[in-house]
Amino acid sequence: MPSEILFAILALMTVASAVTMITVHRPIDAALSFIVTLVSLSGLFALLGSSFLFAVQLIIYAGAILSLILFIIMFLNIKEENLPDEPNKLRWMAATSAVVAPFCFVLGKLVLATDFGEPAKAAEGFGSIRSIGLELYSQWVLPFELISVLLLVALVGAVTLASKKEEA
Amino acid sequence: MIHAYLILALLLFGIGIVGVISRRNIIIIYMSVELLLNGVNLALIAVSSHLQTGDGQIISMMVIAIAAAEAALFMALFVVLFRTRRSLDANLFNLLGERRD
Repeated sequence: MPSEILFAILALMTVASAVTMITVHRPIDAALSFIVTLVSLSGLFALLGSSFLFAVQLIIYAGAILSLILFIIMFLNIKEENLPDEPNKLRWMAATSAVVAPFCFVLGKLVLATDFGEPAKAAEGFGSIRSIGLELYSQWVLPFELISVLLLVALVGAVTLASKKEEA
Repeated sequence: MIHAYLILALLLFGIGIVGVISRRNIIIIYMSVELLLNGVNLALIAVSSHLQTGDGQIISMMVIAIAAAEAALFMALFVVLFRTRRSLDANLFNLLGERRD
């Protein structure tokens, strides 16, 4: 089955680049491996058949948010001495993983024990812009409007925060 | 197949939590938070595709919009924090914490 092989490759790329992202020292390396995570995640979305979310993930995450991160990293002109040195980083990560792993293990057992039933038969136009748009503007109008207010607040907040003059 | 997707989402969430807790570089902490949101998105879309309904996809679009708003605020915070402390070390940003002197 080709879709299972594709899933295995994309899942491996996602997990490997996510682990790289949280282990590297410099933020620019982390941002570059985060791009790999996001692009392979968008491949997984496409594999699941939601083509619109695939495009949204690529445009908004890999396009807008990642370029914002890269822009800020370059804008701040970060030198080696601005970074935390983190001498015991690997030890910290091992300790945290030892705490988090049991929870993930239990949750994974729970997921594997759950019977989700047979997958529903393919709905017409699943994941297309048309079906998502129709549902978004009929049943989800209020959350949609609230999201627009949230984005406006975040925009104004970002501008006021970043433009504050240093008071003597 | 949905089990594999949910396990992968769980794995991403776990990696994100480890990153948030164990790192001290605020930019990497921020990217780990984004990884948490992405893990949740993957789970939502997997379930949505399993049931062939649009709800999960719309919720994950909302999550992406919230992540964009969060990104804008985080970037403003980075600029302000870097201006005042000349560092990206999360341990130095303790103005709201306990006084240690």
